[in-house]
Amino acid sequence: MLSARINGIGWVTVAGCGQGRLRQDFVLGAGELPQLSRADVFAQPDRRFGRMDPFSRLGLAGIAFALRDAGLEVWQQKRAVGLIAATAYGCLGTDCDYFDTVIPGGGALASPQLFAYTLSNTFLGEAAIRFGLTGGGMVVSTASAPGLAPLGLALESLSWGEEECLVAGICDLNPPAGVPEVPGVPPGAVFLVLERADRENVSSYGELQKASGGGYFLDGSPVGDVAELVARCLLTKNRD
Amino acid sequence: MKRVCIVDAALVTAFGDGLAPLWDGLLAGRGAIAPLIRFAADRYQSALAACVPDLIAIPGESLLVPLLERLLAQLGPVPADCKVLTATTKGGIDILEKLRRGQPCRSRAMLPGDLPGRVAARLGLADDGLNINAACASSTLAVARAAARIAAGQTEAVLVVGIDLVSEFVVSGFSSLQALSVEPSRPFDVRRSGLSLGEGGAVLLLMSEERAQRDGREMLGRVLGWGSANDANHITAPARDGCGLIDAIGRALGRAGLSAEAIGAVSAHGTGTLYNDAMELTAFGRIFGDRRLPVNSVKGALGHTLGAAGAIEVVLGLRSLAQQLLPPTVGLVEPEAAGRGLVAAVPQGFAGDYLLSTNSGFGGVNAALILGRTAC
Repeated sequence: MLSARINGIGWVTVAGCGQGRLRQDFVLGAGELPQLSRADVFAQPDRRFGRMDPFSRLGLAGIAFALRDAGLEVWQQKRAVGLIAATAYGCLGTDCDYFDTVIPGGGALASPQLFAYTLSNTFLGEAAIRFGLTGGGMVVSTASAPGLAPLGLALESLSWGEEECLVAGICDLNPPAGVPEVPGVPPGAVFLVLERADRENVSSYGELQKASGGGYFLDGSPVGDVAELVARCLLTKNRD
Repeated sequence: MKRVCIVDAALVTAFGDGLAPLWDGLLAGRGAIAPLIRFAADRYQSALAACVPDLIAIPGESLLVPLLERLLAQLGPVPADCKVLTATTKGGIDILEKLRRGQPCRSRAMLPGDLPGRVAARLGLADDGLNINAACASSTLAVARAAARIAAGQTEAVLVVGIDLVSEFVVSGFSSLQALSVEPSRPFDVRRSGLSLGEGGAVLLLMSEERAQRDGREMLGRVLGWGSANDANHITAPARDGCGLIDAIGRALGRAGLSAEAIGAVSAHGTGTLYNDAMELTAFGRIFGDRRLPVNSVKGALGHTLGAAGAIEVVLGLRSLAQQLLPPTVGLVEPEAAGRGLVAAVPQGFAGDYLLSTNSGFGGVNAALILGRTAC
C-alpha cells in the first residue's frame, strides 16, 4: 500500500478559484472557466503571468493555490518538490493559436512567444521558476479521464524516495473546436500537495493510499476521482 | 529492489529501420540531415531535417501511425501483462496542422493520451497505458519510471515507446526562436549555431531480471540508475551552471549505488545549441572533474528527435556498452574548449560497465539514466 499525507489543496474551476483551508466552495463541472488575471492569483506584480498562455495560467494558478494552502508558497531557497499533472487536451488550444500565426505568412510570422507554450509541461516549468521547485516533473495523459492517476504517480515517487513532497493534480481547458472530446474531463485545475509525513503547524486533510491492486483510499475509505477526493477532504476539514 | 533489464528494442530513424543502419552510419561518420521535402520550408531559418524515409500516412491520419507500426513490427513477443508508457512531445501534431488549414480530420492522434491506447490495442495488451510529456526528456523519464516500477516490484514488464515527428509546426517554432542551424547541427563544436530537427522512435521492453529469465529472454543491458530534476531557471533556456543536470545525474548515480568514477562513457543530449551544450559540459565538469572520458551526441547525424531522443539514445547506449565503443559526434570539427578530450569526430573506445545517458528540455527538465552491461 502506497500512502502520503494530503497537506494542501488548490483549484480553479468553473465556480472560481479556491483553497481548502479557506473553506471555499469546490465544484468541478462543465462550463466556462474564469479568465484569470494576475491579481486573481498573486497579490504582487508578476512579470511572467500576463505573457503566459491560458493553459499555463490555469495550471500555475492551481499549483499556486495548493502550495499556498499548504504554507509552501513563500520560499528563500530552491526546494526539491516534484510536479505531476494529468491532462487530456494539454496545450492544444495554444497549439491552435500558435499555428494560426504560422499559416498566414508561410511561417514568417510564427510567434516565438506562443511556441514556447506549445508543450504541455511548460507550465510546470513556470511553477518551478515561480516557486523554486527543483524536483522531477512531468505531464501525463491517458486515452480516457485520468481519475486519480497523477496522484498515484506521486505516491509512487514518494514511496521510492525520489521526492519528499510533490504537487500533483489535473489541468484542462475546454477542448478547442474540432478536437475530439475525451468524456468525463471537466475544465479546471485541481492540485494537491502530497508529503510523506505530517508537517509541523499543518493539519493534514488525511492520508491518501493506493492499494497494490490499484484502488485509492482516503483514510481507509475508497475514493474514485479527484473531485470526490477533494470534496471528502473539505468535508473532513470543515468538521475540524 | 529488483534488477531491471532491457530485453527487446526497436528503432526507426532517418537512417531507416532497426539499429544496424544507424549504428553503421554513425560509425562511418555519416549524417541523415537533408533538405526538407515534406513541406515548404524556404521561409524558415533552416530547410534541413532528418526525416524517416518512405513514411506515408493514409489520408486523414497522422504520420505517427505508420511510424509506430514500423516500430512495433520489429518487436518480438510482448507479454500480455506488460504495462505501457509512451513518450511524445507533440504526437500527431500533423493532424492539428490539417485541422487549422481547414481540412476536417477525425483522427484522435492529436490528443496527448491517444498514443498509449494505440500501442496497447495494437499489441493486445490489457493496460490502458500512459503518455509522459517532459519535453525533450520525455522518453528518458518514461524509461526511468518503467525501471522504477519494476525495481520496486510493482510490475514485471513495461514497454516504453518514444516517438516524435518532424512537422511544420515544430520547424516553424524552433525557427521563430532562432534555434535552428542553417547547416547540419554540430554538437559541442566551437562554431555550433543551433539544432537540426529529426524524427523517429524507439521501443524498449523492460523486465525484471527474474521475469526475463523465466521467459527465456535475452538481455540487451540493464537500467541501473535514473534521476530527474528541474533547474527552475527559464522555460526555454538551461541554467548556465548546469545545476538541474548535476542534480539529475547525482540522483541517478545514487540510485545505481555508483560513483562518477564508475561511468565509462556519456551519451549526452548535445543539441548543438550554444547554451545547451555549454551547460552540459559545465555539468560534466562538475561531475567528472578533470577526468577525460568519452562523451558524444548523435544529434548531428540523426537530428534532435525531441521526445524520442532519450529512448533512441538508450538503444544506442546499449550497443555502445556491448561493443565498448562510443559513436562519433557527427558534425564536430573543433570541440568547444571544455569538451576537448571528451568529444570526438571519430569513434571512441572505452573500458567500463556503465554508461550515462542524459537529456534536458524546455520547462527546465533534466534527466539522467545509467545503463549497464548485461554482465554487471
